[in-house]
Amino acid sequence: MLEVIKPGLETSIQDYPGRIGYWAQGFPPSGPMDSWSFRLANLLVGNQPGAAGLECQFVGPSLRFQRDAVVAVTGADMKPTLDGKPIPMWESVAVKAGQTLALSFVTVGARSYIAVAGSIDTAPSLGSRSTFHKAGVGGIEGHALKAGQVIPVGKGVGKAGRRAKSEARPQISTTKSWIVEVVAGPNDDWIDEAGHKRFLSTDWKLSSKSDRTGFRLEGPDWTFTEKAYNKAPEHGSEPSNIIDQGYPVGAINLAGQTPIILVNDGPSMGGFINPYTVPSAAFWKLGQAKPAETLRFQVVSVDRAQALRHEIDAACAESSIV
Amino acid sequence: MIYPEPRFLPGGDRFVLIEFGNEMNLELNFMAQGLATAIAEQHTKGVIETAPCFASLLVHYDPDEISFADLNKEMNALIRSLGPSDDIVLDSRLFYLPTMYRDPWTRACVEDYCAKITKKELDPDFVARINGLADAEQLVRVHSGTEYWVASLGFWPGLPFMMALDPRCVITAPKYNPPRTWTPQGTVGMGGASTAIYPVATPGGYQIFGRTPVPIWDTDKRFPVFHDSIVLFRAGDRVKFVPIGKEEFEFVEAKVKEGTYIYNVVEYQKFSVRNYKAWTKLLDTTKRF
Repeated sequence: MLEVIKPGLETSIQDYPGRIGYWAQGFPPSGPMDSWSFRLANLLVGNQPGAAGLECQFVGPSLRFQRDAVVAVTGADMKPTLDGKPIPMWESVAVKAGQTLALSFVTVGARSYIAVAGSIDTAPSLGSRSTFHKAGVGGIEGHALKAGQVIPVGKGVGKAGRRAKSEARPQISTTKSWIVEVVAGPNDDWIDEAGHKRFLSTDWKLSSKSDRTGFRLEGPDWTFTEKAYNKAPEHGSEPSNIIDQGYPVGAINLAGQTPIILVNDGPSMGGFINPYTVPSAAFWKLGQAKPAETLRFQVVSVDRAQALRHEIDAACAESSIV
Repeated sequence: MIYPEPRFLPGGDRFVLIEFGNEMNLELNFMAQGLATAIAEQHTKGVIETAPCFASLLVHYDPDEISFADLNKEMNALIRSLGPSDDIVLDSRLFYLPTMYRDPWTRACVEDYCAKITKKELDPDFVARINGLADAEQLVRVHSGTEYWVASLGFWPGLPFMMALDPRCVITAPKYNPPRTWTPQGTVGMGGASTAIYPVATPGGYQIFGRTPVPIWDTDKRFPVFHDSIVLFRAGDRVKFVPIGKEEFEFVEAKVKEGTYIYNVVEYQKFSVRNYKAWTKLLDTTKRF
């Protein structure tokens, strides 16, 4: 059992791959934004890679352990301490009953992950423990952690001193700029050649109005092909309007002139075009990018995107732990 | 138009959008739902889930199980084997939803919008006028005169996008510009040719003119109808709005609060596209209710 002393900015219970199978009813997958760091945290403490853990955003929580445990902290660096003494990241650490694990302000990256041996054992909702706070589903009472809550943890025996090989970890950018892979489509034929060139040659600024629903990007205007203008009226009046359609997770959704990357808690459908989609292998970068940092997009094929996904899946395995 | 061949549009490494056409008509949605049903029945390898929309079907697949190229081949073969949409027969539940049209709550919401954001004609009067109806009373008669087809769910979990099945009741409405900042839970409204019910209080853009006291979303699963899911509808359901007055609204609201409300659902029917089309041919669509 973990007692929440300080909740942090937005600390939520997540599991991987999240709430799958309810897209047709409008439920997003939720789950950790950087599932690479998340899965490694679980492996370090001997859990299944997708078991429920904590995602901490920008400012981490303080948690008091009510019994002995083994924990691991991965992802963004929030200077984790145990009773005030620094502990290593990317390594499993033994905790005694009564000790407090505290994460502070983020220095590098945006989201830290905490896994506890035995994993978090809240009641699943629609097959997942992931928090979808917009609709109050999953987690504890459907929302991010609050001070005073007690997080149930299952039985598990972790081993301290297990470390994730550095070559198996995501390399979190310290330069405040990111190269993010995108696949063209589904609606790339609505954008003209100049529009595509502009999209791929711009350093897009990640807006502070971004959250787990969508990442807003600030940059130049878009230009369109004939398709965006000569269309049946039920598409809507804006060039970027289309008859409501299903949205892939990761779609770069063009609402008027503002591109919004639809991420883990995003909407399942709507009436705007999606000229590009961020593939799952690049999601960890979105999860570790902070507002005001810049994203430069690089087109890859579907095959390449799937190969990248395969490489990350291969890194999220026991062979990455020493 | 309906495309001669469906288009397969990639959505990253694990989604494909199958687009059947580029307009809003029931035929395209029947095709999307027909394919979704066939995929579910055949347990197509590598397909995790599908989500139909008005003119397209989004397929979520596992690239470790099936490649993009193979998935497209499988889907194409399946679409061919389905034949014309007339052969599609879908399980379809019918929900009777007591609804107070021209209710005080949506009116207060519109008045709040007029006071704080921008002045506009009251929604029932506006929708009646632009559709050539005599008045808001005829709007109620026309809007409640048909069963609605649940084409898809989304935007918010459990929010149904529905289309009128009776061609004599098809009406359209532009969306709010700018959108509303709030909408009461249970509000019934429309945008384009689609009618929706707001599962919870959210921002919104549809023209609004009614409210149902019956929850279409229940995280606590207080009613048996939510046994399988916390949302009421699924694509392929039908909805009939039953006009009620304020007293009946309050009666139903009290029953809901007590947990004793009985959902009025018919579950023995199948929806045959062929029969439906044959019926629409018999109607004089120049006349309104």
